[in-house]
Amino acid sequence: MELIWYAVFTLLLSGYFALEGFDLGVGLLMPVIGRTQETRDRMVAAMAPFVLANEVWLVAVAGALFGVYPHLEGEALFGLYPLVVAMLLSWVVRDAGLWFRRRIDGPGWRRFWDAMITAGSLGLSFGWGVTLYAAATGFGSSLLHPLGLLLGVVVTLLFAWHGWTFLGWRAPETAGITRTGRALALSALAAALPALAVLGGSLPYLLDHSAPASTLGVMGVMALPFAPVMVLAQVWVWRFFRPGRSAVRTPSFF
Amino acid sequence: MDALDLARTQFAVTGSLHFLFVLLTLGLAPLVAIMHTRWTLSGAPEHERTVRFWGQVYVTNYAVGIVTGLVMEFQFGLSWSGLSRYAGDVFGAPLAMETLVAFFLESTFLGLWIFGWGRLPKWLHLACIWAVTLTAYASAWFIMTANSFLQNPAGAVERGGRLELVDAAALFTNKTLVFSFPHVLSAGLFTAGMVLVGASAYRLRRGGEDAAFFTRSMRTGIVTAALGITLTVGFGYAQFGGIQEGKFKGDTAATPLALMMDVGNLMFFVAVFLMLPLVRFLPRWRWTHRLLMILTPVPFVLAICGWLARELGRQPWMVWKKLTVADAMSPGLTPGMITVSLVGFTAVLGLLALTDYALIARLVRRGPRDLDLGAAAEERPAPALSY
Repeated sequence: MELIWYAVFTLLLSGYFALEGFDLGVGLLMPVIGRTQETRDRMVAAMAPFVLANEVWLVAVAGALFGVYPHLEGEALFGLYPLVVAMLLSWVVRDAGLWFRRRIDGPGWRRFWDAMITAGSLGLSFGWGVTLYAAATGFGSSLLHPLGLLLGVVVTLLFAWHGWTFLGWRAPETAGITRTGRALALSALAAALPALAVLGGSLPYLLDHSAPASTLGVMGVMALPFAPVMVLAQVWVWRFFRPGRSAVRTPSFF
Repeated sequence: MDALDLARTQFAVTGSLHFLFVLLTLGLAPLVAIMHTRWTLSGAPEHERTVRFWGQVYVTNYAVGIVTGLVMEFQFGLSWSGLSRYAGDVFGAPLAMETLVAFFLESTFLGLWIFGWGRLPKWLHLACIWAVTLTAYASAWFIMTANSFLQNPAGAVERGGRLELVDAAALFTNKTLVFSFPHVLSAGLFTAGMVLVGASAYRLRRGGEDAAFFTRSMRTGIVTAALGITLTVGFGYAQFGGIQEGKFKGDTAATPLALMMDVGNLMFFVAVFLMLPLVRFLPRWRWTHRLLMILTPVPFVLAICGWLARELGRQPWMVWKKLTVADAMSPGLTPGMITVSLVGFTAVLGLLALTDYALIARLVRRGPRDLDLGAAAEERPAPALSY
């Protein structure tokens, strides 16, 4: 049972990196390739249908952390207090930027929220690198450790590259490059690699600190019937919004 | 204030902000789903306009519900790690289910509903908003299960200084859950009904071309509000059977409780014995419209009073008669840490909440035209195309 939930947890966290990684990457690239408002609109429109389905992976990670590793939950979040607060605020302004940017017409309004999307994406991407380093060292090291900061830069660059690959797949003329689905899968794997490495290294520790079997069993029984629906819904998003359906063009809500 | 007071203030502020938006989400979701069903059946453009307008109010409100919810979820670990250490093996299960199953599906289907507009086959598109409604209700159920466990730790025993789950059925049929859950859902319906009434009253009072549209919306709102408040009051009183002994002894919890019950009973009278019988006439009686607008915030205030009564009444316990709030606080949490995060969260979330309400007010002022939700490409001045 512990091993199954470990697998679920690993899937959720690495899935978050692989999926939300490109949303954050697109946010990072907005000031780089999105020099004009129209280009930025196209970049956001390209990722918009995926964002809601992607960011929930982290919400699920946090929930699973509470349910499966309740002791680690308090220790990890509290140990990284200032970082978690900063990352939460980054996430909040990134999301607010997406929801609000088109609600009022006007260049100043949209430029402001676009800047918030980029700032939030940067805070989250960099924060994840630092978080992973802290997790790998058992939350004992300083948050400003040079290796942690370096990993922050690495994750940020990885996400940016992943976002660029995604744009090359879904909106080639906006990205200036064309990428295949296979290339996107490869960059997704690369984006998930840091998370996979840390989780792999923590396997014995996590198995040892799981919630008791009775709790894991109840959660398993409750979650199992919904697992097929969850997989189906995610697959549906990807099938439905894949780039081949360019015949129908609709404006983006974000 | 010491760290404990600050941590409690932070939870109260973010929790109240979150619930203001969640309350309307819970009430509007089924209404929008019903509007969408009618549109799917009739295919009438007038019905589509109704879904798009109230749907956009719904999703605009939803945005701040999400971001405040994110902060809530992580606050348990930030400020209250003692709770997960002592009761995480039980309390964590419903919270994990909420995020893993309910919210995961809700967000995925909401994305499909918003971005699949005009592209999904119409019955699948309709199924998406119903899936969003069902999963929103499931979310509420899991969260209320977790909260009810704090009120009445049923289904768990203490072993080795920690709570362990022994009876999952008792956890999910907690006596403090069975009536509080429908109480919250019906309060959501009442709130959504009053928002429809208030917004329609504003538009009808101002006059203009959308009179027919807002006449229908006002009637929908009145019927929903009357139904909602009746159920809310009924399930409210039903809760007294399962309440902890001595919960409302002090003034701190008794005051918001009394306010909620007195004003709630008055609202029941107004909605059921005045508004409902006059449902045909109120849209035309312009002199009533200012009054109806003034009533719009009342359900929100009552809902916050309800939460204050429920949560303050539990003090000083985090888990009733098992774990105090002081013991649940993260050891080592300093007033400095919590002040910085309190200021940060309050400032950012507060500004976003105000912005969001301004956007909803603006949407109502402009009425059901030039809507972003479900817009076809040529409707927009400068459309951004997605592929």
